[in-house]
Amino acid sequence: MTVNSQVLGYVVSEESYSDKAVIVKEGSVGDWVYVILKGRVKIKKQTSGGLLTIDTLSEGNFVGEMAMLKQSNSTRTAWAVADGPVVLGVLDSVRLLQEWESQPARIKKLISNLIQNLERSTQKAADMIEALR
Amino acid sequence: MTKAKGKIPPVVTLNYSKGDLIIKEGDYGISIYEIISGKVGIFVKSGGTETSVAVLGPGMIVGEMAFIAGNTRPRSASARALENCCLAVWHPAMLLDDYKKMPDILRLITGQALKLIVRMNKRVVELSLKQELSKDGQTRELSDQWTEERKFFRKMVRLECVFRPVNSPKNLKFLAQIRDISKGGLQMTVKTSGLLNYTLDSGDELFISTYFTSDQKVNMTAKIVRIQKEKTGDTISLGMVFTHLDPDDRRRLGFFLMP
Repeated sequence: MTVNSQVLGYVVSEESYSDKAVIVKEGSVGDWVYVILKGRVKIKKQTSGGLLTIDTLSEGNFVGEMAMLKQSNSTRTAWAVADGPVVLGVLDSVRLLQEWESQPARIKKLISNLIQNLERSTQKAADMIEALR
Repeated sequence: MTKAKGKIPPVVTLNYSKGDLIIKEGDYGISIYEIISGKVGIFVKSGGTETSVAVLGPGMIVGEMAFIAGNTRPRSASARALENCCLAVWHPAMLLDDYKKMPDILRLITGQALKLIVRMNKRVVELSLKQELSKDGQTRELSDQWTEERKFFRKMVRLECVFRPVNSPKNLKFLAQIRDISKGGLQMTVKTSGLLNYTLDSGDELFISTYFTSDQKVNMTAKIVRIQKEKTGDTISLGMVFTHLDPDDRRRLGFFLMP
């Protein structure tokens, strides 16, 4: 997957991470949103048995968008860890947030609901993997 | 979309009883539901079992995934009333313009979330099957206390249609008006004076065609189960059940019946 040119217009800086470097920490507060320019990022959830990989994202995928869109708080819902060397584009969060905030209420409700569902499904998958261990 | 342009249907409030199927996986549906009261369970089918992937409560939205996917794919999960529920039904036309006007980046982010949810739900289903297997060596049967039929709504309409008995010449055309229609059948009124020397009886099968939207012709085959004389003059009312619908026509009907 290539990075959409519209998305590239939002990139204000680039950050490089080496293998296994932590990009986002579950439970921390933050509202940076990234797009993966190069490489892969593992999404992990904290469990009693340690960190559990539940998904892997690649070029063109967004990282950290959930905290911005879920509308309850901006706590990070999962870990994002570099899987090999990774280059991330940091998106203009002020512009992005402004555009998000200016959406009609129903649209915001629809999308934040979708994000909450994703959070829930991810949590459920993590719980089940843990239970199966 | 499926409705005439420029006219956005109002929000409808619907009540469901415990166990009712609100959305059926695999169906084509376009409505988006906001839970006003009650709990709704989301289930994904796999083999003979149904796995619960989420329980949603008041203020939450159900059925938004089909909209985000552009209403091109069938429902990816079923939604069932876990208790008596009240839902507000949004027609996608209410959102479509706003959604289209959204900056590309927000649509891309939303699209990614949708893909990830589908992927995650698949994992949850796989994991739950594994869990069941490790528990008692067999998978759980579908709960039989639940209806497998989605609750469908009879729609009151005034649709002009043409019909002819199944075994009549192809060029024959009679006029009628469909007064209400559901997934199972319809009721239509016919003026007997227009029937030439044909008579209609219970058990007769008819080919019926009509238009749900100005450019969408729908063909149906239905059997007369009830004939009633209307008060006014020579009009009769036919109660009919469908005996055949092509998959495309069934899908169009499904869209048309969405509240």
